[in-house]
Amino acid sequence: MRRLRWWRLAPLGLLVAVALTGCGLASPATTLAPKSDFGRLSHGIFLEILWWDVGIFAVVAIVLLIAIARFRERDPASLPRQVRGNARLELAWTIAPVIVLTFIAFPTVSTVFRTQAAPTGDALRVRVVGHQWWWEFEYPDLGITTATDLHLPAGQPVMLELTSPDVIHSFWVPQLGGKRDTPPGQVNRILLTATAPGAYPGQCAEFCGLSHANMRHTAVVQPAGEFQAWAARQKTPAAEPAEGSPAAKGRDLFRASACVGCHTIRGVSGGGLGPDLTHVGSRRTIAGGMLPNTPAELARWLRDPPAVKPGSLMPNLHLSEAEVTALVAYLTSLK
Amino acid sequence: MLVPGARTGALRARALPAQPRGGIGGVFGDPPERLAVATTTTAAALPHAGAHAEPRGLAAWLTTVDHKRIGLLYGVTAFVFFLVGGVEALLIRLQLAFPDGRVVSAERFNELFTMHGTTMVFLALMPLSAAFFNYLVPLQIGARDVAFPRLNAFSYWVFLLGGLFINSGFLYGAAPHAGWFGYATLTEKPFSIGPHTDLWLVGLLLLGTSTLISGLNFLITILNLRAPGMSFLRMPMFTWTTVVTSLLIILAFPPLTVALILLLFDRFFGTSFYLPAGGGSPVLWQHLFWIFGHPEVYILILPAMGIVSEVIPTFARKPLFGYVAMVYATALIGFFGFGVWAHHMFAVGLGPIADSAFSLASMIIAVPTGIKIFNWLSTAWGGALRLRTSLCFAFGFIAMFTIGGLSGIMHASPPVDLQQTDSYFVVAHLHYVLFGGTVLGLFAGIYYWWPKMTGRMLDERLGQLHFWLMLLGMNLTFFPMHFLGLMGMPRRIYTYPAGLGWETWNLVATAGAATIGLSILVFLGNALRSAARGPAAPADPWDGRTLEWAIPSPPPAYNFATVPTVLRRDALWLTKHPDARGPGLADAAALVSGREPIHMPPPSAWPILTASAMLVLSVGALVHEVVVGLGAALTIAGVFAIALEHLPARAVPAGGHEAIHIGTTGLDHRKMAMWAFLGSECLFFGTLISTYLVYKGRSLSGPTTHEILNIPLTSFSTFDLLMSSLTMVLAVAAIQRGDTRATQRWLLATVLLGLVFLGGQVYEFNQFLGEGLGLTTNLFGSTFYVLVGFHGAHVSVGVLWLATLWHLTRRGRIGPGQAVLVDIAGLYWHFVDVVWIAIFTLIYLIQ
Repeated sequence: MRRLRWWRLAPLGLLVAVALTGCGLASPATTLAPKSDFGRLSHGIFLEILWWDVGIFAVVAIVLLIAIARFRERDPASLPRQVRGNARLELAWTIAPVIVLTFIAFPTVSTVFRTQAAPTGDALRVRVVGHQWWWEFEYPDLGITTATDLHLPAGQPVMLELTSPDVIHSFWVPQLGGKRDTPPGQVNRILLTATAPGAYPGQCAEFCGLSHANMRHTAVVQPAGEFQAWAARQKTPAAEPAEGSPAAKGRDLFRASACVGCHTIRGVSGGGLGPDLTHVGSRRTIAGGMLPNTPAELARWLRDPPAVKPGSLMPNLHLSEAEVTALVAYLTSLK
Repeated sequence: MLVPGARTGALRARALPAQPRGGIGGVFGDPPERLAVATTTTAAALPHAGAHAEPRGLAAWLTTVDHKRIGLLYGVTAFVFFLVGGVEALLIRLQLAFPDGRVVSAERFNELFTMHGTTMVFLALMPLSAAFFNYLVPLQIGARDVAFPRLNAFSYWVFLLGGLFINSGFLYGAAPHAGWFGYATLTEKPFSIGPHTDLWLVGLLLLGTSTLISGLNFLITILNLRAPGMSFLRMPMFTWTTVVTSLLIILAFPPLTVALILLLFDRFFGTSFYLPAGGGSPVLWQHLFWIFGHPEVYILILPAMGIVSEVIPTFARKPLFGYVAMVYATALIGFFGFGVWAHHMFAVGLGPIADSAFSLASMIIAVPTGIKIFNWLSTAWGGALRLRTSLCFAFGFIAMFTIGGLSGIMHASPPVDLQQTDSYFVVAHLHYVLFGGTVLGLFAGIYYWWPKMTGRMLDERLGQLHFWLMLLGMNLTFFPMHFLGLMGMPRRIYTYPAGLGWETWNLVATAGAATIGLSILVFLGNALRSAARGPAAPADPWDGRTLEWAIPSPPPAYNFATVPTVLRRDALWLTKHPDARGPGLADAAALVSGREPIHMPPPSAWPILTASAMLVLSVGALVHEVVVGLGAALTIAGVFAIALEHLPARAVPAGGHEAIHIGTTGLDHRKMAMWAFLGSECLFFGTLISTYLVYKGRSLSGPTTHEILNIPLTSFSTFDLLMSSLTMVLAVAAIQRGDTRATQRWLLATVLLGLVFLGGQVYEFNQFLGEGLGLTTNLFGSTFYVLVGFHGAHVSVGVLWLATLWHLTRRGRIGPGQAVLVDIAGLYWHFVDVVWIAIFTLIYLIQ
């Protein structure tokens, strides 16, 4: 190797270039376009550290490349100068990182305290419960219990109270900010104010067992009025299907079968193991955010849940096609 | 007893062949009396030398206690596990190459990533470092073996069997599946049914035993087996990183052991240490695991840093820049490593004060790390670089590790970390540290020391190809993972839907993984080619700086025919290059020869037999109590066999046989090892006591402290145990002044007092059970019985040990010449008493 074959480093350079320009990083789950105060604070520190990092890496890489290019052995018979150290230089690169770190430490600590401050009085409380493998959202002040879709009003502080009855999950909506775990036996909090309406996907971030990958959710941030309308609709009892319709058949079947053991439909049943289905028809997804809420997907789910979602606690009830059709009709009617 | 003559207890010397090619005498022809290594040493010149029937073939490897052979065994075994972990990684990448992948099921995927992490950490990277420790540290410090050769073999066999044990789950569909970090409550009975997690936790206990013993062995080896003149600040950097790594192992593994034991009690005996339903907390597991886990990161990276610190000066042909600063930086990284564990737990909700404290502590680690990076760069700067494969890997290490270190700063800042933790960003970060750092560093070491270890050269062109493919592959694999993390992709998901923008980078990462796989094939080809027809390696192919290059490649069994005396740092280099000595040193030789008899330990079958007994014990945990009992009995028998194997049939006079255990520091290896072990034990009991204190007052039901503890009875027990310390002191004093009758008397008294204490404990436990406090009644019961029970187990071991000493003294096998044996047992006994005083104060007196 007579000289550095710089082109061999080209792929790495290309990747770094891509990273710096932000190309190819678009995602509905991105952390780079925060839509909340909490997310924005984190993102600011992220960018600051990123630029320090890029600068420091550039120094290290350039020094290394120059050393490789310049200091090759030319005459095996003569030794290079046997330098053992340089106190002044060594002191310099002990102190320099301390200064850089101070610049990082101040915003870090102040943000830690700001984002973990006590909630203000007007914060909307939401109990977020991680289950294997779906998210439950309960609005204690509104009397609403729902699953998978977290509706939030834009511009109003929200206090998420996170917990779990089984294992540790982690609630994360990347566009709304950092994640928090749900250790069983403990209540954790996230205080945030969503700033822009939109639907932001997220999913459980702490490995929680077989279907960890299938524990998804969407944060639906709505303008205040829209949110109020949604809340009012959710507070109403479950829709009563017209007698004799396929949906009514489904309701009767639901009542008479094992469904009631696990699911609540207000006015119909009171099971507590699975998601509350009172307004299941109004949700975007089913099965812990795994499937779009369409009649076809719902039917697929009802036929054999564990086949769709490994480890699903909802067993295969061996429903007949007629039963599946009736249940789909009923559940989709629960808007 | 495979070796005739071993029973005499005399450590046996091997007949020395005429020195093969090499040796620095051959390189630059100093006058013979000033050579580091004499070129002609004959068997006749050595005491104990004689023809012994040497085991051959397989038997030789199974019974070897030679640190070089054990090093090779570690290296080959760990590399095979590295390949296994790599195949697991490739399967993971195949599954994730496209959305909705169907290569493996969710269940298999979870097993694959759990075993990938467990394998790479415990079975590949740590043991690969151990391979280098084993092979090189004794050579670098001018020793003939490690301080405890049979324990060294024992460590290896436990590692091998533990690795097979933990992997055996794949054969019967029960591989561990709850992550290498094993977070409760996912590892608890209700959520992890079947042997998966049992296999993992028992396997880790086995591997922890192996690692802890290695750590003790290497610490004492370096402290006590250094060649004359090899002061601490003359030691090679790799040896220094081994010292710090060993200390980290000794202090970091006990908390993991305790964490695993508590989990074992939860799973096997129904306690609730980590179960909120019984008042416990899954967060306790995380604290204990990361108190181990963060130092573990340094255990993985420091040896690679040591390797790079050897490779760069050699190929830059100038000394390591800022050696002393490097030593302090290494020690500081190790020290700070114990104070930053909670940066793995920012998402757990520890509160702003803890978050800030751990954040600042974590940032501080960047300072010594930065010192290291700039000192490496300065070593290369102004050098005469020979860009051999090994140096390429070392430079690759610097660049890649810097990326990993810099992204680590982000994780030290909680607000940023909350976005990145448990996302692919962290996967990228940790792989830049552990692949870009540790793996590249280890390959630098493999290319550097391969000729020394095998006696053959590797091919440079294939080596360069390997390096560039691996560098390209790792960047293609891991750099895009930063993007995936920033795009919200969590770790440990077996599948992901299309439409989140993750498709491209996942595919790129998979292509990168395939490139890494290809580079490994190139390396394997190079290795096989070298083994088959590689050119023979000279003693010193790189113009090296450290003592291993002063002896032939591969070194003879005894390493150094005569032990060198080291007068300078980089002694070999200065001896070869008088012009490098600098002003004032021009006429001083840096290395001179010493002369002394060669003692080589004989092979032993007991290490592998005892390790097998421990495997029986571990299998028993999954099968049946009877097998546990059998395994425990066999293990105890094995320990006795190892302890008694070299004990002479008759007591020996002072200064004779025992003198070989006295090392550089003037202290006995075994006594130093006991001190180090007790340091480890402090952490063990400290963790158990902390658990007790954390859970104090959190019992949900049932009797607690003040309702149940019998202070008068326990005060008597405490007094009894204190008296036993006194009798122990008298026993040691008696044997030191040569009074064997008094020794026997006081040993027996100590044993009896110990038995009285144990009797008191049995009585107390019975009382408690009668009053309704069982192991599983409440947290108080669980923490009390586990803490006091483990102390009782330690007392029982002490009683057994002292009774054995008493018996051996009576039989005349231990006399005043071996007073140190009683002394060491005494140290242990006093420690156990001190622990009891802590327990008595904290549990009984302060309620």
